[in-house]
Amino acid sequence: MIELKNIEKYYANKGVKSYILRHVTTSIKQGEFVSIMGPSGAGKSTLLNILGMLEEPTYGEYHFMGEDVTAMKERQRIELYRNHIGFVFQAYHLIDEMTVAENIEAPLLYKKIPGSERKSRIADVLDRFNMVAKKDLFPNQLSGGQQQLVGIARALVAQPSIILADEPTGNLQSTQAEQIMDLFKKLNQEEGITILQVTHSEKNAQYGNRILTIEDGVIKEDISVEKQM
Amino acid sequence: MFKLNLKIALRNLFKNKVYAAINIGGLAIGLTAFVLLLLFVNHESSYDKWSPELKNVYQVREYHDFFTPDNKAYWQQRSESRIATVLKEKIPQFKYVTKASEGWGDGYSVKIDRNNPVIVKDIVDADSLFFKVFPYEFIDGDELTAINAPNTIVLKQSVAIQLFGTDKVIGRQLKLVRWRSDEGNLMTVTGVVKDPSTAESLAFNAITHTGERDTDPDQISNSNYTGIYVRAEKFLDTNVLNKSLLNVYVDYKKALLKARGTTYNEFYKEKNRKAGLKILPISEVYSTPSFSENWLAKIKPIIALSIFLLIISVINFVNLATAQSVQRAKEVGVKKVLGAYKKQLVLQFLMEAAIQTLTALFITIILVELLLPAFSNHFNVQLSFWHSDQLLSIISQLFGLFILITLLAGFYPAMVLAKYNPVKVLKGNYESGFGGIALRNGLVVLQFIIAVTFIIGIGVMYKQNHYMASKDLGFDRDKLINISTNYETGDSFVESIKRIPSVKYVATTTQVMGNTFNTSRELTFNNQKFDVNAVTVTMDALPALGVKVVTGRIFAKEYAQDTINSVVLNQSAANLLGKNLVGKTFTSGPKNDVFQVVGVIKDYNNESFEKAVLPTIYKVTHLGGSSNTNNLLVRFDNDHYQSAIKTIEAEWKKVYPDFPMIYTSVEDAFLKELKPSLRLMQIVVLFSIISVVLSLLGLFALSTFMAKRRTKEIAIRKILGASDLQIINMLNKSFMILVVSANLISWPIAFILTKKWLEGFAYRIDMPFWPFAIATLTSVIIAVFTVSLQARKAAVNNPVDALKYE
Repeated sequence: MIELKNIEKYYANKGVKSYILRHVTTSIKQGEFVSIMGPSGAGKSTLLNILGMLEEPTYGEYHFMGEDVTAMKERQRIELYRNHIGFVFQAYHLIDEMTVAENIEAPLLYKKIPGSERKSRIADVLDRFNMVAKKDLFPNQLSGGQQQLVGIARALVAQPSIILADEPTGNLQSTQAEQIMDLFKKLNQEEGITILQVTHSEKNAQYGNRILTIEDGVIKEDISVEKQM
Repeated sequence: MFKLNLKIALRNLFKNKVYAAINIGGLAIGLTAFVLLLLFVNHESSYDKWSPELKNVYQVREYHDFFTPDNKAYWQQRSESRIATVLKEKIPQFKYVTKASEGWGDGYSVKIDRNNPVIVKDIVDADSLFFKVFPYEFIDGDELTAINAPNTIVLKQSVAIQLFGTDKVIGRQLKLVRWRSDEGNLMTVTGVVKDPSTAESLAFNAITHTGERDTDPDQISNSNYTGIYVRAEKFLDTNVLNKSLLNVYVDYKKALLKARGTTYNEFYKEKNRKAGLKILPISEVYSTPSFSENWLAKIKPIIALSIFLLIISVINFVNLATAQSVQRAKEVGVKKVLGAYKKQLVLQFLMEAAIQTLTALFITIILVELLLPAFSNHFNVQLSFWHSDQLLSIISQLFGLFILITLLAGFYPAMVLAKYNPVKVLKGNYESGFGGIALRNGLVVLQFIIAVTFIIGIGVMYKQNHYMASKDLGFDRDKLINISTNYETGDSFVESIKRIPSVKYVATTTQVMGNTFNTSRELTFNNQKFDVNAVTVTMDALPALGVKVVTGRIFAKEYAQDTINSVVLNQSAANLLGKNLVGKTFTSGPKNDVFQVVGVIKDYNNESFEKAVLPTIYKVTHLGGSSNTNNLLVRFDNDHYQSAIKTIEAEWKKVYPDFPMIYTSVEDAFLKELKPSLRLMQIVVLFSIISVVLSLLGLFALSTFMAKRRTKEIAIRKILGASDLQIINMLNKSFMILVVSANLISWPIAFILTKKWLEGFAYRIDMPFWPFAIATLTSVIIAVFTVSLQARKAAVNNPVDALKYE
């Protein structure tokens, strides 16, 4: 599904290149649950942003579902957002002025999905996440865990083939974090959604089936996780 | 999606109530001024459009110098009456030619049966063809024959109701008295016409046919000036027609001048005069006045002011929306990663601007309705909004305005917002996504330039108005009234009021403030020719006015010579002629009459201060012709002259029961001359206050956002030991640079503008310095105060609160 070849990202500062990513070459298959780990400033988030097409690599090739991303126009990229990619953020990034239901509805609006189907899909997701009662609340009326659930629901409702999550549990208590990670695992196993998460936590990384460790912009380790469950 | 965006927009507005109120309110005020102006412009351009047939109606204009305020030639609305006959014969394209003469003075006295006489203005005397040229709609009477017979009158419907209480007035009679001693004409009402829906340049209350317009003066040396209007068969190319018109006119003038014992060459060529006759479509008559600038030129400053006001409110909108965009950054970032096109986001924010503009427009309409009576009163026009015949065009103009303002105000903020880079915003890094600070600062500077220029404008205008109101006019305008009537020597009425105790002088002059009539006269002095203004006075006129003698003396009964050939000069005339003039003589007139100068008086102002006092000679004698222009000056010797006026009125009523007495105090006439510039000042003051308030609101809101944005910085500085005052100063400094630079820029602008305004006055102040200083001081103080208010809030906050969330 994702092919990265020699991806580099650097900033030129007074003639000195400061690298963020170097020689990153890897591939991610459909249905994988990959955790990206590494110390602060290693380049994890940059890698995720490049994968999410929010940033462009300075050099290298990136193929998403067989298509060359670096050659894409903005409109094509937006089409990919709409149809294949769901984002989940550490700070949830719900739109404050929209209710829970409206937040979840937003991506469907951009996909131009008809009203009746939107309603049924929202109802479906809300039901699955046990949030029907909260659908008319605004984000600031929810707890952090609940907000992140809405964030995930929003990413899922468009039925993406891949979810990109940047420290999804970073702002949450451990019980809430576990709940979220269980959800990811379930989505991965039962619905076959590819998940890519950036995390600091060994424990969270164990939920997936592959761990990429990055240090100083270089992939240090690429190991699969033993199934313990 | 539209519905959701609408909801978000409304929720955002409610969340930031103060911001929204400033935005919408500011825009509404700016729009109100603009819409009022729009209504005024609509009204002014609606003249003579009440019937499609008016397309074929034209006014004849002759280029001549008779009856002009400065004795120079202009394209005048009154032409010599014989031209009408010539046009009828020589120009086949004209189907009908009519002569219509507006009355002189304050109107005619109308007496119905035994009722008290009432003054009716704008009674136009025409020949029998008037209604063949002007397509007025008769609601009663026969339009083909209505004014065929002499002594007939056609009334406007509104006037008929006002005079008779009904519009069924055919056959009724009324007595028309045109001056106090006029016997009066008994006129029969033969028609009633509907009041047109829009304004007319030839505004009348009634059309009379006295018969005077049917003929031209018998003697070839006499001329009669009247309005001439023509109706063409079909559309005319005025350029082509005016050429043949000029040829006809030149031929006519050659014959006329020959009959008068001179030649065309002598009259025109040798004296460098220009002969001219043209037609003007009736729709252009109002916008082409003969002497003054047209309405568009007159309201130019006001147009500029309201456009500036609108700009200020739009700038507020742009500034606040852009500053506030920080709050919306996350929404933009999220939407982008959810798959929103940039275009969709731009549209969303434009829609938000549209909602606010629309709200502002509704408030504007309410404000306009409220302000319209005062506004109409101020400009002396009858404006309406809902009841306007042009409602449809007004609504479409408003719609256009709505689109324009939405784009002006919304486009830039929408672009700024839509441009946000999602990665940066979603990381919480607003600073780098916070674009356009330079532009926003630029806009604040622009706002302050406008506001400061306004304040300076007020200062200079105030000084000039003060100067004019308190200037020594060269005569004593106190305790002086001007009765609107002619004065004849030995007049029994005048003799009787002279006997009233507090009456000091009774006199007449052709030159008094409020009614000045200038006639040019050529004189020969020391074999040199001079053009001066000639004023006819009675013996008592100059003492009645209280003029100041420079050398020599003014007229007095003791000198028998004064009624023969004495003249008094004013200072300007004396400067023109030379030195030591008292006792010298000059000749003037076709018979070279000899006049002797007996004195020189100080110039006195008899018109508004835009005009310089003309070099003038004053004479009592009838030698060389004289004029009489409906002025009867009465000077009282004490302040309690109201009872004396009552006595005069009673005396008047005894002698002239059919004509009411009309008078003004010269003081009022003077105030009337000051009115135009006073009016402009009132508007400038109003607009300035609004613009300053708007600019400050903008600054207030902007500083709020700035303080908010720098919350973290302020907190850290406090932890590092900065005092509240230091923090307030820090925040003030960035705004102070803007305000000071705005001041520096507006000084030269204001200087040029006010200088130009002052140059319109013949009598003016030197450019004062203090308005500039005061404007700068005011703007700085108010800006510091506004920003400090916000900065203090930020500064006294507990830094822990600000840092906790980071």
